[in-house]
Amino acid sequence: MTARSVMAGTISGPMRALLFLLAAAPLLAGCGYNTIPTNEERAKAAWSEVLNQYQRRADLIPNLVETVKAFAAQEREVLTAVVEARAQATSVQIPPEMLSNPEALQAFQEGQANLTGALSRLLAVVEAYPDLKSSQNFLALQAQLEGTENRIAVARRDYIEAVRAYNTSLRTFPSVLWANLWFTDNKPFATFTIDEDKMDVPKVDFNDKG
Amino acid sequence: MTYYSRQFRTGLLAAAITLLLVTFAGFAAAQPLPALTGRVIDNAGIIDAATESALTARLAAFEDRSSDQIVVATIANLGGEAIEPYANRLFRAWGLGQAGENNGILLLVAVEDRRMRIEVGYGLEGTLTDLHTKLIIENTMVPAFRAGDFSGGISQAVEDIILVLEGNAAELEARAERYEEQRDVWWESIPVILFFILWGGLFGGSILFAILAPVFGRKIGPGRYRWLGINVSYGSSGSSGRSSSSGSSWSSGGSWSSSSSSSSFSGGGGSSGGGGSSGSW
Repeated sequence: MTARSVMAGTISGPMRALLFLLAAAPLLAGCGYNTIPTNEERAKAAWSEVLNQYQRRADLIPNLVETVKAFAAQEREVLTAVVEARAQATSVQIPPEMLSNPEALQAFQEGQANLTGALSRLLAVVEAYPDLKSSQNFLALQAQLEGTENRIAVARRDYIEAVRAYNTSLRTFPSVLWANLWFTDNKPFATFTIDEDKMDVPKVDFNDKG
Repeated sequence: MTYYSRQFRTGLLAAAITLLLVTFAGFAAAQPLPALTGRVIDNAGIIDAATESALTARLAAFEDRSSDQIVVATIANLGGEAIEPYANRLFRAWGLGQAGENNGILLLVAVEDRRMRIEVGYGLEGTLTDLHTKLIIENTMVPAFRAGDFSGGISQAVEDIILVLEGNAAELEARAERYEEQRDVWWESIPVILFFILWGGLFGGSILFAILAPVFGRKIGPGRYRWLGINVSYGSSGSSGRSSSSGSSWSSGGSWSSSSSSSSFSGGGGSSGGGGSSGSW
């Protein structure tokens, strides 16, 4: 007696249904079952790219601070602000599992926005030091910093778009059925609210020194 | 009452999502992008004809050698958008560079905004660094543009870019080789694909037939089924109804695109993450 004869004996209602399900499994992909996990992974990957670019910026800062210090050591206040903002920004870490937590993302965003503000004040101060501005080291760092800021902007846009797609798939037909039946733990991801550079408007106060 | 309010809420939600989608679509369509008509797209009309044809030939020859796609585009204005997001959108819409390598470069000039940008694809960020592009813009393009020599500035900048890319000769060759291998890969895998189609069709087809026959077929005896005109029997010794002509062969209708058509130019599907730098004159 082979296995096949055993199979023939037990083929009944439930078995039939199981076999049918097995054959139909590939078809599930067509009704949106894969949409939610696919979009979720895409959003997580986009988030990793955001973190990657912020980390790249944080890695550039010590070198930048040292270079500026060599020419403009008296600008201690601005330099300290950058170092502190960097320490604060890098202390807030958001692993992909925490992306559905808006408060955590808000804290992360604020930390990074502070660092952006401190950096732009540092670059404004540098304008007063022509030697520094024309030094090769500073030019290289400035080019890299500008490039990184732009990469951050691109990564943020990509993340916002990926989260939009993911959150939409949690709420729209047909994937909303799967969200309610199967992926009940999946929550919408939080996303960046405002553009970072618009968050930290530099204040101009003429009565400051008076 | 609750039923109605629930329905109302759902309707409101749907309306909100639709509005959101429409808004995003509106954003995407805000600034229409020019079409990719060639390697040099001079919509602003600042490059003279001789330079344009020379540049096109130079860039085509360079792509043949390295598979790197360099495209020069000039536009009248950015319509209020910053040049960085615009260049990135344009780069991605055109898909410059080969798909796996992302080795594209876009040199964009917005004449009325007096801005230029060299946008570098992911794959070339290590070779043509942000500092290189900054130096090319500041030392080559800006002086020429200030003197009003757009054609000279652009072609000199292209020469500089090629110089940097060629400067890392080992990496250049490796990239071209990888691309060649990628392009050749489907020729070499034809026997493998045929093998799988043949044997997969034979074995997979008959196994699937054996599984599905009891489900969909008609029972004509103990352990014997008839489906699609073929008798299948499940027993210890032998199966009487051999599936002689079960036409169950799956042919995968994959679309193999051969990407190198020399006459018309199109992007290879590469992408950019915002590498490069911008300047103004």
